[in-house]
Amino acid sequence: MDMISRTGSGGALSSKAPLAFQADHIAELTRALHGLDGLVGHPVLMGGGGVGIEVERPKLVEVCRVLRDELGFEMLSSVSGVDMRDHLEVVYHMRSLAHNWLLQVKVKLEPGKPQVDSLVGIWITANWLERETYDLFGITFVGHPDLRRILLDDEFEGYPLLKSFHPTPTTVHDRATTQAAPEEALSGEAQRGVERVVSKRLGQGTLERLHPGTPTFGHAHYPEQPGVPESEGVD
Amino acid sequence: MAIDQENQQASEYIEGAEGFRSEEMILNMGPQHPSTHGVLRLVLTLDGETVVHCTPVIGYLHRGIEKILENRPYMGGIRYMDNCDYLSPMLNETAYVGAVEQLMGLEPPRRAQYIRLMTNEMQRITSHLVAIGTYLLDLGAMTPVLYCFRDREGILDLFEALGGSRFNVNYMRVGGVLHDFPKGWLNRLEQWCNKFDQSLKELEDLVTGNEIFEARTQGVGYIDPQQAVAYGLTGPNLRGSDVNFDLRVDRPYMAYREVSVNPAVRQEGDAFARFRVRLDECYESLRLIRVVMDTLPGGPISTRTPIALRPPRGETYFAVEGSKGEQGIYLISDGSEYPYRAKVRGPSFVNLQIVPELLRGHKMGDVVAILGSIDLVLGEVDR
Repeated sequence: MDMISRTGSGGALSSKAPLAFQADHIAELTRALHGLDGLVGHPVLMGGGGVGIEVERPKLVEVCRVLRDELGFEMLSSVSGVDMRDHLEVVYHMRSLAHNWLLQVKVKLEPGKPQVDSLVGIWITANWLERETYDLFGITFVGHPDLRRILLDDEFEGYPLLKSFHPTPTTVHDRATTQAAPEEALSGEAQRGVERVVSKRLGQGTLERLHPGTPTFGHAHYPEQPGVPESEGVD
Repeated sequence: MAIDQENQQASEYIEGAEGFRSEEMILNMGPQHPSTHGVLRLVLTLDGETVVHCTPVIGYLHRGIEKILENRPYMGGIRYMDNCDYLSPMLNETAYVGAVEQLMGLEPPRRAQYIRLMTNEMQRITSHLVAIGTYLLDLGAMTPVLYCFRDREGILDLFEALGGSRFNVNYMRVGGVLHDFPKGWLNRLEQWCNKFDQSLKELEDLVTGNEIFEARTQGVGYIDPQQAVAYGLTGPNLRGSDVNFDLRVDRPYMAYREVSVNPAVRQEGDAFARFRVRLDECYESLRLIRVVMDTLPGGPISTRTPIALRPPRGETYFAVEGSKGEQGIYLISDGSEYPYRAKVRGPSFVNLQIVPELLRGHKMGDVVAILGSIDLVLGEVDR
């Protein structure tokens, strides 16, 4: 049949016991990692047959070069930033296809100084992954060839995945519209088709780009001097 | 004599043009272009017909799914995973619930695992059918896309009967699945399998040996194995470049620990190879569905889990073999009802990064042929 028991215990599934074919591999990986310079603490076993290590921030590039060249971690799977409130962390997940290893490398960043060395020189795929982390966390990757925002607008303010990021914008952006203020329209002052700059109270976390002429149902605000954006608290 | 003179003149003209470099032109492809399969924008720098440089611009579909996941209870986040890769929601949901289960040390019942495997393989077929159909449509073949979407409709109807919705099924649960099969569902699935068996061969006959298709895809967009690994490609794109890596085999999870999978691998590394891998995977998925139908264990479909889950403190990384590659979730729990951090590792985002490298030096006409062979879903690129 097509059924192959990989667990060796009569086909009973159990996620708690690591798979038989993985146990040797994990032991081999932890042995190989023990001699590594620049580790903080010891390698720990992660769920799902992975191994996690923490690396000193200044030695990240050296350690990663050893990981790629000597231990065979040729594929970088993901780069994630984590906001631990008092400091930021960058977590790398990498795979060795030849040995079938999965490794998690964690770096703690200095509080108040979100900077870490870029790994683009080691894994080319780190380029976009680091750009994404910069975009959402504001972590600067030193030595990155092209560190720009990737998912968000270039003009976007703030880093949305930080815990301090408020989902409702506190600043109001002005935008162009042809809509007339109700009182001006009644008194006949408004000219049709003239583009004006108005501010609108923004909804929950949205920075809508309204079509000129979209009704704002009384939420449009007209500053005294057209073109001068108001900072806050309009209605 | 006259012809010789004309040839002479023509060759002189070409010789004169050899050192000539025309002015480079910048062409915007997308975000509203049918062949970018979503809202991808490519800023192409062209020298004549040749692509000199390409800059992908993404983010038009960014919805902040990772931030949304942080602000929803664990069970509430499953529904948002549907919107990541909207062509394979079942696979995304499996990745998410698998990560939560791994964090909790929870083991779903065997029947639930087999149902997950079955729905995952069904979803893989639908995703590959869209990839194959639209790819052929991009290359000018109108009929295959109709065949593909017709067959895909059968699975979507089955999903509708199962979870209540065709696309955003919201079917997986932490600890199992939502419902057992409705009455007569397995018979319908078997009928669909028999029908699809024939129509898949029909589809293959339609494409195999087609000179135009082969001329446009063979030798185009070559990725060598080292490059594929360095760029972090996974899934059919990696296996099309002669790297036999499949998480269902190399890191088996859930019922894949008991059911053996034969991943499709091709040596060529070009667009045609990637296309063939997807087609072969449809056969393999069909076989797996039939295996599971024959050996479906009985028992409960879900463990008793509370709605308000509180996984213990900790972190975990769990990845499934999605239709486009490694669909990974990095999850951190602080012991509360909400995930502290949920990172979605989407395969399309990583796979897209190689596109500028592939397009460089190719003609403008090959851009669509290369882009389609990578099989991107922009919902997952932008998240």
